[in-house]
Amino acid sequence: MSAMTTAIRADRVAKAFLSGKVRTQVLDGLSIELMSAELTLISGPSGCGKSTLLAILSGLERPDAGRVEALGERVWELDRAGLQRFRLQHLGFVFQGFNLFPALTALEQVMLPLGYLGLGHAAARQRAEAALDEVDLAHRRHLRPAELSGGEKQRVAIARALAKQPQLFFADEPTSALDARSGQTVIDILHRIARSHGATVLCVSHDPRLVTHADRVLRMEDGRILSDQRNPAAGPPLAEESSP
Amino acid sequence: MIALARKTLIYEWRRFLPATLAVAFSGMLLLVQLALVLGIFESASTYITRSSADLWAGYPGTQSIDLGRPISRDVEMRLLMDPAVARVEPFQWVDGDWHGPVDLGSVSVFISGIDPSPRGLAFADVIPPALRLLLQEPGAVIVDRADLPKLGIGVGDRAILNGVRVRLVGTATGLRALGGVNIVTSLATARRLNQGVDDPGQVAYYLIKLKQPAAAAAVARRLDPQSAHRRYAVWTAQDFSARTVRYWLFETGAGLGVVFMSAVVFLVGAVITSQTLMGAVAGSVTEYATLNALGASYAALSRVVMEQATWIGTLGLLLGGVLSALVLAVAVGQDVPVALSPLGVLVCAGLVMAIALVSGLMAVRTLRRADPARLLR
Repeated sequence: MSAMTTAIRADRVAKAFLSGKVRTQVLDGLSIELMSAELTLISGPSGCGKSTLLAILSGLERPDAGRVEALGERVWELDRAGLQRFRLQHLGFVFQGFNLFPALTALEQVMLPLGYLGLGHAAARQRAEAALDEVDLAHRRHLRPAELSGGEKQRVAIARALAKQPQLFFADEPTSALDARSGQTVIDILHRIARSHGATVLCVSHDPRLVTHADRVLRMEDGRILSDQRNPAAGPPLAEESSP
Repeated sequence: MIALARKTLIYEWRRFLPATLAVAFSGMLLLVQLALVLGIFESASTYITRSSADLWAGYPGTQSIDLGRPISRDVEMRLLMDPAVARVEPFQWVDGDWHGPVDLGSVSVFISGIDPSPRGLAFADVIPPALRLLLQEPGAVIVDRADLPKLGIGVGDRAILNGVRVRLVGTATGLRALGGVNIVTSLATARRLNQGVDDPGQVAYYLIKLKQPAAAAAVARRLDPQSAHRRYAVWTAQDFSARTVRYWLFETGAGLGVVFMSAVVFLVGAVITSQTLMGAVAGSVTEYATLNALGASYAALSRVVMEQATWIGTLGLLLGGVLSALVLAVAVGQDVPVALSPLGVLVCAGLVMAIALVSGLMAVRTLRRADPARLLR
């Protein structure tokens, strides 16, 4: 298990959206620190600002005010190309929709981003196969999305992000389109990524089933963090890992 | 690198088929249109291209063969005096008025009076020696078989041409003229038909056969009197034919018409192709956005779209080529005049690729919607 350090620090970030003439303040001076090697869950009702927070922390949505420091880099002071490079080298994403290319097999889906990292075909294939193995899909690697179940698709999406070996891993509602069993598998994998890869995993969800599996749970409402709890006995993967 | 563009194109071929067909049909329209216009206007120079003369002598400044004016008879002697000249043959050019056996009223025609001997140069490629010999019969005429309905006549039938009785002794293919029907007859018959002029035997052109055809350009320069007040001029067959086609293309405004129609075809092709490509990009926009979130640059995603456009262009080009070949083959079978030049084909192919690439550039703009932040809203 990697030692925990602060991986992401957000300082008084604010964000408002305009819809027509109505201005909605989604986040108003929110500060937060996220640790490496831990699965942090942000839960809360829809519209509470949790996805916006994830977008700001991951360099996808520029905040109106405030500062985000990730892996020692002031994210929003990077230029467009710098931000792109930062995401390429350090970030992994999983979204609610699996967003897999219909034409590609599971293996090709996972290899695709590795090409942009500059990996050669053989190296990319090796990494992709390892990542698929880690999400327990090695035997399904030659199937296309149409031939995979929802849970399998989400696991391919996780492998796609994981193969990049990111230090920061963001998941937005990763289980909301899945049945209980698949959801359980997905959260277990995310947990394992935090533990065995030492990655900072931030998961945003309103799915109450996930609460018991997270190392840390932040409850949000109306753009503010209401509670911040650690969950020392979270998740079965931990137990499995500590007693081999 | 995973060949995303190609794999998507193959897997989702139904989605890309309309774009490929649009490109193919645009290519076919461009090419067939060009072939038709060139074919029609090359038929204006049929007299030149289907004859085996190396040089033509005619009235100075003649822009097109159908604008021929009589030249002096002593030109023939002067041409024959040149040691490079093997044979000189008069070519008569008379406007005619045709009344066929079936009453279709009067039809305006061109009459070409040629040497009916088997060695004759005029229409050597079109009229075989046996058929030529039939022209020695006074009043015998030959027409293109495609013109028979227009003239209301069959082989062996009689008709009235410029008030004189003539008889159709045979048909040939490749005699069609622009702007009227071409009637071929012997020089002697043409003289009888050329009434109401001072010298009915005066001809519009002399056809010249050289001992060494390769020297045509040099001999043409030597035979041409080169003075401002000359009474005749000498051109190579190639020059005269090109001048005739150019005259018809530009004087009639048809050249501009071709450019205009090509622009319309280009626009329609590009609109359909770009719409299809945009649809394909829009359909995969969340996947592209995810890829962008994972660090693939906008430029890298644009390359995927442009690669797809290039594939569509290439496939469309091949399909368009096959379609064009089929259409042109049918046209040739139906005696529709068509002609193509390598440059014309190259320009059409370039335009087809441009349709695909311009469409690709338009579709790239759709990628702006692939903003990963939208995946989180």
